Amino acid sequence: MTDNRFLRSLPRHLFIIAILAINLLPLVIAFSSSFRSIRNMTNPLNLFSEFTLESYKAAFTRMQFPAALMNSLMMTVVAVVAVVLITAMASYPIARIDSKFSKFLYIFFLSGLVIPSQMIIIPIVKTMQGLDITSAQLRPIIMFITCSIPFSSFLYTGFIKNSVPVEVEESAVIDGAGLLRRFWQIVFPLLIPVTTAVVITQGVWIWNDFFYPMVFISKQDEFPLPLAMLGFLGDQTNPTAWNVLFAASILTSLPLLVIFGFLQKFFIAGLTVGAVKG
Amino acid sequence: MKKTLYWFALPALLLYSVFWIYPILTLFGYSVTDYNGLVKQYNFVGLDNFRQIFDDGIAASSITTTLIYMFVFALCTNLISLGLAFLLNMKIRATGIYRTIAYIPALFSPIVVGYIWSYVFMPGSGLIATVISWFGMDGNSFNVLGNYNYALYGVISVDVWKHIGTTTVIFLAGLQTIPKELLEAGEIDGANAWQKTRYIRLPLLATSITINLTLSVINGLKAFEYPFIMTNGGPGRSTSTLVVDIFRTAFTEMQYGKAAALAVVSFVIIIVLTALLVFRLNKKEVSA
Amino acid sequence: MKNRLWPALNLESITECTGGITVKRSRWLRLLTLVTIMTVFLAACGGGGNSNNQGSNSSGNANTNTNSGATGDAGKDKVTLTMIVSGNRAADGEDFELDILPRMVNEKFPHITLEVQKLPDDQYETNIMTKLAAGEAPDIFRIWPRMASMGVIATAKAGYLADLTDLPFQQYISQGAREDMSYDGKIYGITKGIDMLGVYYNKSLFEQVGINELPRDWEAFLAASQKLKDAGITPIVMGDKDSWWIQFGMYQIVANTLYAEDKDFDLKLQNGEAEFTDPRWVEAIAKYYDLYQKGYMASNTLALSGSQAIQMFIDGQAAMVITGTWDLPPLMNEGAAQFERGFFPLPGNDPGEPVWQAVATAAGWGVSADSKHLDVVKEVLNYWFDPSSDLFAKWVEYNPSISAFEGVPLTNEIFKDAYEQYLATGNSIYFANQMWPSGVADEMQAKFGEMIGGRNVTAEDVAAAMQKKFNELWK
Repeated sequence: MTDNRFLRSLPRHLFIIAILAINLLPLVIAFSSSFRSIRNMTNPLNLFSEFTLESYKAAFTRMQFPAALMNSLMMTVVAVVAVVLITAMASYPIARIDSKFSKFLYIFFLSGLVIPSQMIIIPIVKTMQGLDITSAQLRPIIMFITCSIPFSSFLYTGFIKNSVPVEVEESAVIDGAGLLRRFWQIVFPLLIPVTTAVVITQGVWIWNDFFYPMVFISKQDEFPLPLAMLGFLGDQTNPTAWNVLFAASILTSLPLLVIFGFLQKFFIAGLTVGAVKG
Repeated sequence: MKKTLYWFALPALLLYSVFWIYPILTLFGYSVTDYNGLVKQYNFVGLDNFRQIFDDGIAASSITTTLIYMFVFALCTNLISLGLAFLLNMKIRATGIYRTIAYIPALFSPIVVGYIWSYVFMPGSGLIATVISWFGMDGNSFNVLGNYNYALYGVISVDVWKHIGTTTVIFLAGLQTIPKELLEAGEIDGANAWQKTRYIRLPLLATSITINLTLSVINGLKAFEYPFIMTNGGPGRSTSTLVVDIFRTAFTEMQYGKAAALAVVSFVIIIVLTALLVFRLNKKEVSA
Repeated sequence: MKNRLWPALNLESITECTGGITVKRSRWLRLLTLVTIMTVFLAACGGGGNSNNQGSNSSGNANTNTNSGATGDAGKDKVTLTMIVSGNRAADGEDFELDILPRMVNEKFPHITLEVQKLPDDQYETNIMTKLAAGEAPDIFRIWPRMASMGVIATAKAGYLADLTDLPFQQYISQGAREDMSYDGKIYGITKGIDMLGVYYNKSLFEQVGINELPRDWEAFLAASQKLKDAGITPIVMGDKDSWWIQFGMYQIVANTLYAEDKDFDLKLQNGEAEFTDPRWVEAIAKYYDLYQKGYMASNTLALSGSQAIQMFIDGQAAMVITGTWDLPPLMNEGAAQFERGFFPLPGNDPGEPVWQAVATAAGWGVSADSKHLDVVKEVLNYWFDPSSDLFAKWVEYNPSISAFEGVPLTNEIFKDAYEQYLATGNSIYFANQMWPSGVADEMQAKFGEMIGGRNVTAEDVAAAMQKKFNELWK
């Protein structure tokens, strides 16, 4: 019996492995190149032809990795937490109230998705300056939050509307609970799956974004990881030290991988929470 | 529901209006000036910028390129991810691992991804060229990024590759919440695998499909990083999407006003297309 | 029958109430909110506080030594100068702008701290334009000569640059270099040095096919390339995917076909007295295209990036690569093949006529007109560019460009012949794009790219496109 099932699922496994291998192959190139010495630029397709930690060491020190890591962590966590809080809150009325105004808000937020940030960076900087926001790190954080609002509100609104019926709150209404309590104590905890989705999707792009930090932060001590990495890119005078850049990329992505692996459980747990009770 | 509920939206609304909407309006304001990005004084020029972008063909070429990009990108990403999601959904033990692996490309910065892929596409000693030569064909004549007709597709494939992870994850989530009872009911009615998929799974996936399709359309229309990093809009202008052209006009040619006009045009196009798509999809969702 | 579906990501489903959410969750939530608010406050107020205490670190960050030297100049206030430049950080060893400059400035002037940020070219442009527009210019920033993008002329015209004409060291800089960094008679920038365009070649491969004398005219160059081709060696490799590479061959050829006769062509162009469709320009474009047509160029150069092309050259897969003095560092890396490199100007001239070279002022530095520490900046510049100072010596040592300061000897042997020829004959012209509004060169690259890509574009079409763009941008 088991033989049969194994054999039947084998081609599926192989097929998936094939696709995932293609998916990963380009990254394997980066991985193997990161173990080469800094100036070794011969064909990167000779995988694993050399093994040294020289590039990693160079990346680590030149980027001031620990400091940059702390900056990335701080900025990403603050931004993501803020996004979750204010967007969940904002989506609540939009999902619950059925009026022209709420429809307008929905589209209003969503339409922000269609403008790429490069187009409006100059007006954004002028606005920031006009508001005299002094902390250099706060500015990209504000932009991270702002740019996450469209997609996150989209997710939250859809979820609350479809998966959190009003009846759930009714018991609280009977108890005389105020709006805030209704939201935070009853609705919000039910939003775990979509919160996880928001954290994963927004967290990744915020962590990897170099554009906003580049525009707003000039002190090297305050650089988050991607900005610290940017220094390794080449131009016409100095060749890009690709091996160091790859090592830097891998170092930058490692925390994300760890967190993603960890959050996966929440994701699945969130999906199955109802199942157990239901 | 009390109207005071609207206060909940205040923080988001405030942030969003000040730091996103207001700059956009300012941008529209620039589109009728001759601002070059540097000067402190500039003049009102009416619709000159708009006339010019249509006159010299830049609007036409970038719109066409962008539409092709969006179409191919959205199609490929969704088809491949849907297939992959179905595969991964078939109760295989290692799904969690596979899912993590599928997500990894999404974690890397476009700069690194762009560079690696330019080695994949490089003629002669590049990855694909080498594989081709194993099969006896000439690796040197393999030219994607340098070829007018194929460069765009080469760039799109990189974007697709990067997005498969996130799209598949969303589809998987949708698939995994389809209740077993419905599928079992279908089996009792004598449906085979294909019919189960067509009549049960797909309709229930409607929302996931809407999200993914909408997202990929919007991302396709906004495409910038890969054409910019891998081919800088070239060869010639064959991979110059709208945002690439806007960027070049604003920062290389120092014609910020003209770039703003192009931005207004692209904004209109993106909004219209997205709205159309969302309405159609919503109708389908309701019926499903 | 009740449908029991799981609450899930965006599915129409009916949830069975899971009202038993525990108290634990909401407490956790409150804690999280508290932590967030605290962190936001810390970030907002303490933004300065965090960073100052990072202490010493191995890459020689500027902030480290401020305390130790402070006692020396007790009377002066501490000043922090900001500097943003384009380029990339050297992968190993010290980077002049990022490490050495701040350190030595701080040693000489303990009350001055110089913070330097280096960004890749594309990002630099966006960044600096944004900062200038917002009125937040750094004290010192990268400036290009004449009309290149972020060039002196546009930037000074807009009022963003400080006048540097009276600084004492200007007298030591060659006149051409000074003029290239001026606008309206005043000097607004200091150049890194002089860059030359030319052809790097593989001496072993040349010997192998019997090219004993370097070509000094176009016919000879074609003949040499033919010899290489006949021997099965790829004569030239170019990284045309980085479309600005197209300029490298083009400008050298046009220096010979047009500027040799008419040095003031671009002034005429600006006055409307001349156009790109001039037959001598078309001739230059056609000649450059000839190299592609005759098969002297590696196949599919449009798919190769500049660094890939350079890699092919140093791996011995092509005998020549056309680029400039700035690309020396990667070209001297060891590749799969061992050989000696040489350098000669691309001879676009007819036999019997002298070779004209394309030599131009390189990018350099400008000072913000709105700088709050203009005098301090000038002090630093006077120290840096004083030919007798130690900082100057260090700068020359690390500078890949040829110095524009008179009397400074050439550091790189490979350029000796070309440089001496330049000094002796004076037959040279700047890189053509320095006199065009930014965007024209881009158009040339795009159109020529179409030509190489087999899109039925003629040399006249390229010239016409350039003229059209010029008319649009020249105001």
